[in-house]
Amino acid sequence: MDSASRYLRMETPDKADHLWRYTPWKKVHPTGDLSEIPALGQPEISLNLIDGSKAPNGIELKRGVSGEPDFSMSNALTNSFLHASAKDSQWTLVVDRGFSPGKPVILDIKADDFPSIAHISLEIGKMAEFELITRVTGNSEWFGLLRTGQIQDGAVVNDVVIGLLERGTMLRSDRIEICRDAQVRAGTVSSGSDRTKSDLRYIMGETGGNIRVLGSILSTESMHLDHHIEIHHEAPETFSRLSWHSACGGSSRTIGTGMLTIRKGSKGADASQIFHNLLLSESAEADSIPELEVMENDVVGCGHGTANGPIDENQMFYLKSRGFDEEGAKNSLIAAFLNSTLSEMGGGELHEWLVSELTLQLEALNS
Amino acid sequence: MTLLEIKDLHAGIDGNEILKGINLKIGPGEIHAIMGRNGSGKTTTANIIMGHPDFEVESGDVLLEGESLLELESWERARKGVFLSFQYPQAVPGLQVGNFLRKSVASIRGEEEAKGSAFRERLTKAMEALDIPRTFMSRYVNDGFSGGEKKRFEILQLMLLKPRLAVLDETDSGLDIDGIRTVSEGVNAAIRGTDSGALIITHYSRILEHVQPDMVHVLLDGKIVSSGGPELATKLEEKGYEWLKKE
Repeated sequence: MDSASRYLRMETPDKADHLWRYTPWKKVHPTGDLSEIPALGQPEISLNLIDGSKAPNGIELKRGVSGEPDFSMSNALTNSFLHASAKDSQWTLVVDRGFSPGKPVILDIKADDFPSIAHISLEIGKMAEFELITRVTGNSEWFGLLRTGQIQDGAVVNDVVIGLLERGTMLRSDRIEICRDAQVRAGTVSSGSDRTKSDLRYIMGETGGNIRVLGSILSTESMHLDHHIEIHHEAPETFSRLSWHSACGGSSRTIGTGMLTIRKGSKGADASQIFHNLLLSESAEADSIPELEVMENDVVGCGHGTANGPIDENQMFYLKSRGFDEEGAKNSLIAAFLNSTLSEMGGGELHEWLVSELTLQLEALNS
Repeated sequence: MTLLEIKDLHAGIDGNEILKGINLKIGPGEIHAIMGRNGSGKTTTANIIMGHPDFEVESGDVLLEGESLLELESWERARKGVFLSFQYPQAVPGLQVGNFLRKSVASIRGEEEAKGSAFRERLTKAMEALDIPRTFMSRYVNDGFSGGEKKRFEILQLMLLKPRLAVLDETDSGLDIDGIRTVSEGVNAAIRGTDSGALIITHYSRILEHVQPDMVHVLLDGKIVSSGGPELATKLEEKGYEWLKKE
């Protein structure tokens, strides 16, 4: 059965379904007519190094993807829809074994003027060592991003997706497999689009996989940013940390839901997830629900937590005592809060670049 | 002109009066010390001078060079030259020390002083004087700092911000002997030989052996009950505070 048929046979998810409780499918479907798989355009996609120079040999963006995504998980609806919609906008990022460019690579996606979609499959070779930024910009009313693929044995990858759409809706779904001894930092920076629904799933099916999932989310005005993150430990000696920071202002709403599973037999697994929300106004709202399913007794650790609160008045006083005015102190604390996870997403150059992108967003917050 | 004048200050927190009529004058170039037991109002005095929003002034005034500070926000006081070295400096995870110092110096001393090689040289010199390694710059403000590191970092800020009035709230607590000496040298470098002043709040006379105060005041139950020269600190160290109650 192809993806379109699969999608059309599925029932509309109920609001009682945890995954769709905060952002119903109807709200993120491109037309709102759930029986429709509309024709969507292709965004402009380019691949360069962070300094703007051409990407070196060893990394290539090819047309098309091989095979179909896995539809066995609860994201089957999203993935079948995105996969069907993106049949003319499929790309594979092929990274050679041992690829090590020394500089971060930027995959720039410009979604301008019309609703568009892209399916990017990651084929990251063994022992590759690099940093990948996927930047989504543009003024499109709707953009869909499906990311699938594998990070193969021993690869060390910092994979950051930064969503900076000027408006509209972004629907994103990731399903990434982390192979033996691969080390991944998966960062999400989100500060654009009126509405975001993202479903990020990382599967560690082989021994020694290691992932840090990090989020820096800034929501303002009436934005609605919903991120669901699942990390699945399906092999021994796997390690994961989820740290998700959301700063929420105006009348915006952020949602962070997490699911951490440790399958029977994943001995020595070590996992934790924590959500921090910084509330910047009285009408801002932040919801976080971390969940665990642990089927193995012999684990190193498995924990979860969530913390919500306004800007700390003692921190404000400390900065003001050092000459920061009200706005300067507040902005510095918001930036610091987001930087706590941002700084973990990659090396110095990548971090500096991300901070500069975020600074523009913070400036926009006050304009 | 008097640098700092506190006039019949009554103040407290949550409706509880803590300061019950304090009077104090510090002249340019002078270093004064306030000593007293826990709960006598020392930290409240420091917070009132800096403008902590939780503290309420019922009556009296606090003047810096003749101008009342009470209507000013704490950042305005900082820009006028008031500096508070905190007893418990706040950690700000995510805010890098280097960025924080630059922004702070730019806010208080002006943009020019916060950029270029002159700033870097001053910073390096102050860090060396305080035995602070260069790796400090990439750490987050007070995040994971030891007690001693926090106090040294406060004094580093004092040296860079060059305030008119420095209030040091128990800067010596949590420091070992070498730490007290290093921090004291930093305070002396920032204040001695300038027309700035300092108010050192402390429980112990040890720091006052290194930073010789011009005056020592004893605060008991929200009032200054005795003032004198440095010898008063020595007497307090020997006899405690009970004898003052009897007088």
